[in-house]
Amino acid sequence: MRCSIVLAVAFVALACENVRSKPPATTDRVTVVVALGTEPGQLNPAITTGGGVHPITDQIFNGLVGLDEQLNPVPELAERWDIAEDGQVYTFHLRRGVTWHDGAPFTAADVVFTFDQVLLKYHSRTRAGLGPALERIEAPDDSTVVFRFKYPYAPLLQRLDVTEASILPKHVYGDGRDMLTHRANQHPVGTGAFVFSDYVRGDRIVLDRNMHYFRPGLPGVDRVVFRILPSAATASLALESGDVDYISSVPGPDLTRFRTRSEFRVVQSTGGSGGSVCQEVIIPNLARPPLNRLDVRRAIYSAIDRDFIAERVYFGQGVAATGPVSSRHPWAYLAPATKYPYDVALANQLLDRSGLRRGPDGMRVTLSFAHAANQARLADVLRDQLRAVGIVLRLEPLDFNAAVDRVFVKKDFDFGFASFCNGADPDIGVRRVYSSSNIGPIPFSNGAGYRNPAVDSLFSAAASTIDRAKRRELYGRIQSLVTEDLPYFWLFDSAGYRAWRATFTEFHPWSGAFMEAVRPVMP
Amino acid sequence: MERRLHGGSAPGDAVTHRPLSLLRYAGRRAMLLVPFGATLVVVAFILIQLAPGDPILLLAGDGGTPEYYAEMRAHYGLDQTLSVQLGRYLSAILHGDLGRSMSFQRPVAAVVLERLPATLLLGTAAVTFGAMFGLTLGLLAVWRPHGWMDRAIRLWTSLAHATPVFWLAQWLLLVFAVWAAWLPVGGMTSARGVLSGASPLGDVLRHLVLPAVALGLSLSAVTGRVARASFLNALQQPFVVAARARGASDTRVLFAHVLPNAVVPVVTVVGYHAGSILSGAALTEAVFAWPGLGKLLLDAALQRDVPLAMGVFLVGMLSVVVANVLTDVAYHALDPRLELT
Repeated sequence: MRCSIVLAVAFVALACENVRSKPPATTDRVTVVVALGTEPGQLNPAITTGGGVHPITDQIFNGLVGLDEQLNPVPELAERWDIAEDGQVYTFHLRRGVTWHDGAPFTAADVVFTFDQVLLKYHSRTRAGLGPALERIEAPDDSTVVFRFKYPYAPLLQRLDVTEASILPKHVYGDGRDMLTHRANQHPVGTGAFVFSDYVRGDRIVLDRNMHYFRPGLPGVDRVVFRILPSAATASLALESGDVDYISSVPGPDLTRFRTRSEFRVVQSTGGSGGSVCQEVIIPNLARPPLNRLDVRRAIYSAIDRDFIAERVYFGQGVAATGPVSSRHPWAYLAPATKYPYDVALANQLLDRSGLRRGPDGMRVTLSFAHAANQARLADVLRDQLRAVGIVLRLEPLDFNAAVDRVFVKKDFDFGFASFCNGADPDIGVRRVYSSSNIGPIPFSNGAGYRNPAVDSLFSAAASTIDRAKRRELYGRIQSLVTEDLPYFWLFDSAGYRAWRATFTEFHPWSGAFMEAVRPVMP
Repeated sequence: MERRLHGGSAPGDAVTHRPLSLLRYAGRRAMLLVPFGATLVVVAFILIQLAPGDPILLLAGDGGTPEYYAEMRAHYGLDQTLSVQLGRYLSAILHGDLGRSMSFQRPVAAVVLERLPATLLLGTAAVTFGAMFGLTLGLLAVWRPHGWMDRAIRLWTSLAHATPVFWLAQWLLLVFAVWAAWLPVGGMTSARGVLSGASPLGDVLRHLVLPAVALGLSLSAVTGRVARASFLNALQQPFVVAARARGASDTRVLFAHVLPNAVVPVVTVVGYHAGSILSGAALTEAVFAWPGLGKLLLDAALQRDVPLAMGVFLVGMLSVVVANVLTDVAYHALDPRLELT
């Protein structure tokens, strides 16, 4: 018995050593606890677009620019910028007096190093999107950075926020070591509102207030603790019990409970470090019959009740989608002329005319639906809705990674599913889904295999047009053409709910740096 | 677990050399498992590698070019054939190197060792709770066999065994953490730091209660049922009749005669569960955000972090082996009639 007690105490002592908290005792400091669903593993935001890393690192680092709620660029590390008339040269004037968390001065050399040695090599979206257009980046002096392009390039500013392009310290990372395994990836040094303090794997990441942050009066709290809570249901209970103060995703069934209680604030938002302005989309495999036929696709899309899905599957966390750009996008969305209202009778007529006649069992055809298991509710609803027009949907639930592999890499599916995020600019998140040059074994690419040279040309024209009104017109034409061709079934323009305890205010869920302005509510 | 009743030699000989023999016996049992373990490692490696999905997707993210993904695969050696990767892995583990976790960018051994104490703590607490509560249920059930308490306990054990851990965990959280606010929702220590005046040990124990109960409840049900059957069987034995004839009280009969003689099947059940607690703890650890190996294995499998998944698998395999050997040793320690073979 004595031996068991000694062993038990030893285990607890070892465990305490592993899950230590710094400092051990609660003080008067203001701490915000944020629920985090995914273990980040490492903390270098410039080598990954992974969803687990950015919610943390976006508080530690800065971008050259920030994005406001309407996704317009606002000064951050760059306090102002000039764009040459031909749209090929961007000159950024950096904020002076900014220091890294270790005290070293921030200079233009850090920006050039970050792009040349890290982002353009290791950040998948920046390398694929910015790389081909960029000629070079120069630092004529310590506080000026010049981006030179091969042709006019419009979406640059939207690619420079902390989520897309966090700026790293050259004096830390420029030692020639492997960027993917660099030790600073575990102990990040940034310029942001919070300083990295501790990472207890599997449990929490602790950040402390940056006492020398360049924005006076910010941040408004002393400490942020990201508590790793993999289960969304547990995170929701933790918010209710007061163990955490903020959750970035409210499970649908819990919405009413939080909305009706005064101790919580619930806000809908389309943005954040997890991806901005997203759409839930069914991907038909255009290489396979009968989905290679437009009349069949139109029939099937007309048989899907998107309003029902928006309400019952996604609990109203967004609206039914109408086309390739989310209606939540602040400037690029134009309501397409071609609409596909829910009409089962029309769908049946179109399918009858297409030659897909009903068999003796009343069914026309069996099609597979490869999807991540967390979309089971959607899959069930789709199966029921398509059965009404004689289509048997064979459900193939997979884990997330396997589903992406099946649809985008192996291309072994009839219907697939993806949540495509438009991003701050359509060139970042829309073009990759519809461009014929992006058909290949690439995750979240043109999975349907859609090809339309006119659409390709319009995307190129929109990317190289600086004037936003003209760009909007070009994207409007793209939306008309693509909606007419119907290469995807757009289900839902999402705007998820975030919830927090009313003892805090000024969370900015549209921004990667959503914690920067948070402060306690004074009684 | 081969055993047979002790036969020819004098009882004194066996008792005199028992500790040494037990040690040799444990060693022999462990050695037998080496080829079995090696086979398992190879099979597990191949199965994990054959699972569809690409670790680069979660490591690097979306929207890259094919060249980019090819470069990343080459960097992590994922462009090699399965046989080359297996050969490299086996060679590395023979040299004591478990490789490097792709998602944590750290040596697998360090990541696994960091999480091991949390799992050992949860596992020990759950097994202790399950075994003790189960034994208590078994004893209460046979106090008046087929009485109302016995029937209630049988009903309870059926329900407890059939209850899904995920569902049970959510209810435990709702009742004890949210409604009553007696215990914290998740993690192993308080996120805001330990309250002034409270001890770090007490903080960990408060976080430990709910996951240990969730994980141990099913074991308590099985233990309770096995203990009840074993105790009932022992109560029919001649030595119990003899004890009663000598005027021993019910309490004395149960604790001094029945319990020591009927405990071996209970040890089997507890030993089996103790070995498999690592794999069984994955769901519990995920729901309660307990920073242990079960959650780590789940993350590693979902992210296709092969070196890390294999590292946790090796530790899990080792824990099953150790638990089996300890169970065998416990049999012989508890029942000297069993011969060491």
